Amino acid sequence: MSFKDTLKEKIKQNLNRKFIGKILALAAKKPVLYLFTRTLKSVSDKHLNSVSIKSFYKAYSKKSQVAYGSLFLPYEMFYSLGLSPFLPEVLAGFTAGMGIADKTLAAATKNWYSQDLCTFHRSASGAVEMDLFPKPKFIICTNLACDAAQKSFYIYSKKYNIENNFYLIDVPYDYSNKSIDYLSRQIKEVCYDIAKKTGKDLDLNKFKNIIKNSNKFRHWAKKANDIRKDLTAYPPNYNGLNFILPFHGLAGTKDAVILYKNMYKELKKYIGKKENIQHKKILWLHLKPYYSNDIFKLMQEGNCRVAFEEINYVYWPELDPSRPFRSLAKKMLSHYLRGPIDNRIKTIHKMAEEYKIDAAIIFSHWGCRQNNAGARIIKDSLKNRNIPTLVLDGDCVDKNNYSKGQFRTRIQGFIEMLG
Amino acid sequence: MEKIKKYFKRSTDNNNYIGWLCTYTPEELILSAGFTPFRIYGSKDYNRAEGFFPINFCPYLKSSWESILNNDTHLKSIIFTNSCDGMRRLYDTCKKYSSIPVFMLDVPKNQNISSVNYFEFNLNNLIDFLNSLGNKKITNERIKNSIEIINKKREGLIKLNNMYRNSIIDIDTYNSIIKISTLSDPYLFVEELSNYIDSIKNVAKPKKPNILLIGNFINEDRLWKLFSELDLTLSYQDTCSANRYFEGLVENGNKPLGSIAKRYLYKSACMRIANLGNKITEIKENIKKYKIDGIIYISLKFCDNTLYFYPLLKEELKDIGKPSLYLEIEYNNFSEGQVKTRIQAFLEMIYT
Ligand code: SF4
Ligand code: SF4
Repeated sequence: MSFKDTLKEKIKQNLNRKFIGKILALAAKKPVLYLFTRTLKSVSDKHLNSVSIKSFYKAYSKKSQVAYGSLFLPYEMFYSLGLSPFLPEVLAGFTAGMGIADKTLAAATKNWYSQDLCTFHRSASGAVEMDLFPKPKFIICTNLACDAAQKSFYIYSKKYNIENNFYLIDVPYDYSNKSIDYLSRQIKEVCYDIAKKTGKDLDLNKFKNIIKNSNKFRHWAKKANDIRKDLTAYPPNYNGLNFILPFHGLAGTKDAVILYKNMYKELKKYIGKKENIQHKKILWLHLKPYYSNDIFKLMQEGNCRVAFEEINYVYWPELDPSRPFRSLAKKMLSHYLRGPIDNRIKTIHKMAEEYKIDAAIIFSHWGCRQNNAGARIIKDSLKNRNIPTLVLDGDCVDKNNYSKGQFRTRIQGFIEMLG
Repeated sequence: MEKIKKYFKRSTDNNNYIGWLCTYTPEELILSAGFTPFRIYGSKDYNRAEGFFPINFCPYLKSSWESILNNDTHLKSIIFTNSCDGMRRLYDTCKKYSSIPVFMLDVPKNQNISSVNYFEFNLNNLIDFLNSLGNKKITNERIKNSIEIINKKREGLIKLNNMYRNSIIDIDTYNSIIKISTLSDPYLFVEELSNYIDSIKNVAKPKKPNILLIGNFINEDRLWKLFSELDLTLSYQDTCSANRYFEGLVENGNKPLGSIAKRYLYKSACMRIANLGNKITEIKENIKKYKIDGIIYISLKFCDNTLYFYPLLKEELKDIGKPSLYLEIEYNNFSEGQVKTRIQAFLEMIYT
């Protein structure tokens, strides 16, 4: 059994917060981490695993002040406030990967979370009900992308008795000077309020440095993305959809800079490496299932390769370290999931051009209204550009909604149609 | 509905409509631009709309899209609000596949001074849009007149609500009149409603227990009929098709737009707001005020705002010892037998 599988088994057998903390403390020890990451084939994967374990360990260790955050927040503010971020939605993906989502989802159902809700949130809510997550001091969320986080996160604040430390950063629908003002004021107020509650002054110099780090991360992430425009071969097991935590939750840290710099270097080595077969280039929209599945294997068998994933798109401009709040507001407002779907479509078209895409797949995750209800418009817009699109219905977290046969039929049918 | 329609003939005979869907749309401004605000209720069945949205999509929005596609209401324009993910996508779909001019009004989720100011700014954009439609130019004076008449309409509906709670009118009539109020010329409606209220004499027997109904867009004639056959009074309907629509007046002072912004952000809230704790407080106050014995929570399926709220509410109700019943229904499509049995069992539980 591999190290990872042993960990999984152990956690499954002792499903409680304390034990998870203990396992993470062990896994985060340098020699263990080294031995574990050595088993991974790609450098990017090694870094990903090591920074993820370190970040989870920090949140579980008693020493840090934990703040829950939803996915599309500017995490630079968390680090500037000296908080250890913990991302329940990302962890929900892990519940699927670890094979414990059955339990967390059942706990959510038992506590009246409807089965029609997004399983990222249902699974995370179940984990909170089961007391598997570290206890937060603050809970910050945003409505950027969807309505789910602002609801489930509020319930967490109630569960942990910290309603006064719950914050919703309400991202305006439009991008305008007025909306930048409104949003940057919100970010600023949240930062100062938290600083006050933690009894520390907000260190603006530290904030500046974190913004600088964030820019460095952005620089390398962009370079890694750019190089993928010409890649035909990839490191073994590389999957861009695995890098959600560092891309969002580690923005502003040195870890993110190092990871993306190394990713760039690793991918660069594959430039010019030709594979025997000419692959069709696929643009992947939305997320993927995080339990074990053979979607990507099936695509590979049909000579298709994900050339780029929407979730890795560097959507924001360089940040101005002298104006941290305004910069972070602009970062949030630049997100393609903000406002009308036209924003997302423009971004998709840009990616389709830059990566010379042959076809697109929209993963239609059950319960994700913002994505699924836009699928038809996106598909039609790509059709106008002669890019065929497959809307693949499934669930990112609940493996019970995954039918191997059905996926096979749909993917193979699509690939055949591509010719 | 048929039996009361005759009282409201003149106010519903109109063709200068602007459509709206969510109770965060200020009718005052639509009226100031010389249009009649018209709530979209959607068509009874939907076929064409199915091809645009997934199966697990808000049935109210789907049926609304069907009626927009069929253009059966001849709307001059539609005002959307940034109320939920579904609404955002309906706006996109409408913009892309229909020729009706549309506007998206961004309604903040936080309730504080800066969100009121931001909302006021957005209302100014709505004014620009309404002016661009080329009917009446909106002026401060016109806004003030509109505030006055919409407030009167609200006061009338509150009177009606009292009549219903005292069993002077039945639930079916009550909900039908609220519906009419969202589809008619407010000036004429206010007159007609007052005439109607004056004409009512019969007093029915009050029914117990007092139930608080909480939900989203609950507009089901069959449901009202079913409720009227049971021994209960829906003392307060915390839904966007009843009390959440008409409660709370706009202050008619020197800064009408700011007053509108304030009233809408602080009105009886939908579960879309950030601080769900405020909503819980509001519900608890209503439970006390209306001497509520039990809560029926009805959600149209696939509405995240409403679905996420129940786990929180359930806990809170447990703390204060109030029983609740949870129902999920499709729009215009639910099994009456099943719903009735469940409500009956719930009522029995309250009594024992
Ligand atoms: S999958 Fe969709 S509904 Fe779920 S958290 Fe992500 S954006 Fe929200
Ligand atoms: S019922 Fe729910 S999903 Fe439907 S429009 Fe209202 S808030 Fe949105």
